[in-house]
Amino acid sequence: MSTPILELRQATKKYAGVPAIEDVDFTLLKGEVHALVGENGAGKSTLTKVMAGVVTLTSGQMLVDGHEAAPRTPNEARDLGIAMVFQENSLVPTMTVAQNLFLGQEKFFNRLRGIYIAAQQFLQSLNFDVAPTATVSLLGAAKKQMVEIARAVLHNAKVIIFDEPTASLTPEEKKYFFDLVRDLKKRGVSVIFISHALEEALLIADRITVLRDGKHVVTDDAAKFDRARIVQAMVGRDLSQTLYGQRKATVRPPGKRVLSVQNLRMASMVKNNSLSVFAGQITGVFGLVGAGRTETFKVVSGVIKRDFFHGGEVLLHDKPVRYRVPAPAVRDGIAYITEDRKVEGFFETMSIARNVYIGQLAKLRSKGSLISNTAAKLLGETWAKALNIRAISADVKAVELSGGNQQKMVIAKSLVQEPELVIFDEPTRGVDVGAIAEIHRLINDLADQGKAVVVISSYLPEVMALSDRILVSRQGKVVEEYSTLEATEEKIMYAAIH
Amino acid sequence: MIAALKDLTDRFFGRGEAAITVPPFDGALKPNQLLENATVVCDLDTPEDLATDGTSVCIADGKRILRLEGSTPVEVAALDAPVTALAAMPGGGFAVALDGRAVRIVGGAQDGRTWDAANGRPFNAINALSATPDGKLLVTDGSQTRPYAQWSHDLMELGRSGRLVELVPADGSAREIATDLAYAFGACATPGGVWVSESWRHRLVSFNGGKAGAVVLDRLPAYPSRLTPATGGGYWLTAFVARTQLVEFILREPAYRKRMMAEIDPRYWVVPSLSAGNTFKEPMQGAHIKTMGILKPWAPPRSYGLVIHLTPEGLVRYSLHSRVDGKNHGVVAAVDCGGALFVLAKGRRRLLRLDIADIERSLQA
Repeated sequence: MSTPILELRQATKKYAGVPAIEDVDFTLLKGEVHALVGENGAGKSTLTKVMAGVVTLTSGQMLVDGHEAAPRTPNEARDLGIAMVFQENSLVPTMTVAQNLFLGQEKFFNRLRGIYIAAQQFLQSLNFDVAPTATVSLLGAAKKQMVEIARAVLHNAKVIIFDEPTASLTPEEKKYFFDLVRDLKKRGVSVIFISHALEEALLIADRITVLRDGKHVVTDDAAKFDRARIVQAMVGRDLSQTLYGQRKATVRPPGKRVLSVQNLRMASMVKNNSLSVFAGQITGVFGLVGAGRTETFKVVSGVIKRDFFHGGEVLLHDKPVRYRVPAPAVRDGIAYITEDRKVEGFFETMSIARNVYIGQLAKLRSKGSLISNTAAKLLGETWAKALNIRAISADVKAVELSGGNQQKMVIAKSLVQEPELVIFDEPTRGVDVGAIAEIHRLINDLADQGKAVVVISSYLPEVMALSDRILVSRQGKVVEEYSTLEATEEKIMYAAIH
Repeated sequence: MIAALKDLTDRFFGRGEAAITVPPFDGALKPNQLLENATVVCDLDTPEDLATDGTSVCIADGKRILRLEGSTPVEVAALDAPVTALAAMPGGGFAVALDGRAVRIVGGAQDGRTWDAANGRPFNAINALSATPDGKLLVTDGSQTRPYAQWSHDLMELGRSGRLVELVPADGSAREIATDLAYAFGACATPGGVWVSESWRHRLVSFNGGKAGAVVLDRLPAYPSRLTPATGGGYWLTAFVARTQLVEFILREPAYRKRMMAEIDPRYWVVPSLSAGNTFKEPMQGAHIKTMGILKPWAPPRSYGLVIHLTPEGLVRYSLHSRVDGKNHGVVAAVDCGGALFVLAKGRRRLLRLDIADIERSLQA
């Protein structure tokens, strides 16, 4: 484990003259799991993209197995034995698992049966429980992750880079994923692991490197780190007290009832669900995956429809509403901020300003209004400043932003609509600690302004730190309600499971 | 025409008015055991109402008016008919409703003054009286078609004949403030007008001069009843029973209701009740109400105990409950006096006492 398999020396990458990483030294040893942590915009993605051949260095040196290398494409990196598993997976959804595994290696006469057998044998050798004939679009997040990993191993990767691999996994899937990483390590594969979940980095990594503002801060054995030390290195200040650290001493009293969901039904996901949301309060909704939380609030906001017959009632300000599409819900003051921002949250090839402007256009009733570039730019600048969205310039495409800044942009896109009811679905998933604190502050500000706020989260410390009241969802309905003052992690988890 | 078509489609799809839904007990209405764990002051024979003059608590019990001295009720007046509502007059004495058909002043300057009609229509089911600070008297006459005791008949007939009446003891006049209410049950003068409970519409409505009322609090998960001012600001609202999907369903089935009313003993109708669990002949309000012989506290209730504390604006601040597995059900009156809340659980024929500071402390914790 002492031979460096991959090394970066004085690595610098500049975009339009602005350094994304600057003079970074990084060493990856053979068979080690190396966690890369840092705030949004710290340069983690750029650093790994350099290794994976997605971008090239402006200056500095990259060595693979002691030899200088400068992969210019992902294919070249793969030839060097470096594969990257992106957060948003790169599989072709309409193809089968086997087809995805062998994509790019097709022969002139390809026998499907042949690749299915080969894929089956290969997946079994990795002990992956995935059917090679399954269509990728039908697989869950964890299984897609497995296929990505299998593809990397199939290409004889010596280095596999995981970008936020656990962001969309359930707790059980996460456990399975960690077993996979340990297995890869045993095979001598080196793993670079980018994660915002610091506990995961501490749990799985042999070494941890912290980046801040594109610069290397520290690299050390994971055993020598604790959460506070990592956070301090990441942000240059102690955030542990502001980030989930303190329980609320008081809760906000409820205002008028803004939303009442009564006996809502939606297929097998939402079963006779009833709940209320009040103005001037943060209502936290906790539950395990499949508890019907997201679906309930998607029905409320018109993203999906409830059952056709006897689907229950949704009342906004005590008036029944039934949205078939989100537009009228937006006009009525409901903002749903999705858990899956990359798919549902923004247009990735558009700028921040355009994305925020689209949010405003969605509120307008008239479809004949002209689009104003000046207004869009002004709006973008205003909201980027208000929400501290950090980008090299206002014209940067959404896809080029870090996870936290993307999330802030998605929030801005909804807040520009001046909603009365704001529903945050997993607001800090895939977001770094600095941005988490900012997003939490923003959510609290909204409640202080008298808005009704819903926070759906699978992360208990987040629910407990933010909420004034906590609803626990299980098997499609709310089964328990706690005031934050009386709630404990044990009580909430018990209600969510039993 | 369009409304009729909408009604038809709503009935077919189970939407709008035809949606068989019940608001949840959550937020400030989240269930607790406060009412169930309250101190029992005394058991009574046929209690109907409570009143306070600020120094003592009086109880209407059958044909008697009792005053609470310590925890002992002492008779202060006896009347010739059952008292269905009671109010303490600001200048001394009481106003009582006799058998739901007349209002009489007992004691004080207007002793003996009686009303048996307003706007030419006789009183039929007077269920609440409330004295206003300017010496007037608010009366809720629940139904013009059913007597006081037959409130469940009125519910099953979707009664809309309740009214709110103002009496002036000084000159003996009477005028209707509001009519066609869906069982008016409890009223209180507020700075913004008169608030009245409309039980069958599960709401509080405010009347301030005009015929049309403004909704103060709507879509309650229970049937609201009497309303009294709270000493520290705001109001105490009692709810004599909770709503269930089963009853909501029955209320949308006229043929079923008609037959049930014609053929079944009213004690066993599928209707809310002030107390339940007395006989196996009672309808189960939904399946799975028991596990291993134990009544689940979250089961659909046939009877329930609930007192709601409202802010001066009419928002629910907190609530006190006796759940399905409890006994202190059918709460019809609550008054506060000397830092304590006195609650009448008519279903159990009990007077309960809770320390208001303790309530607020326990809810904060």
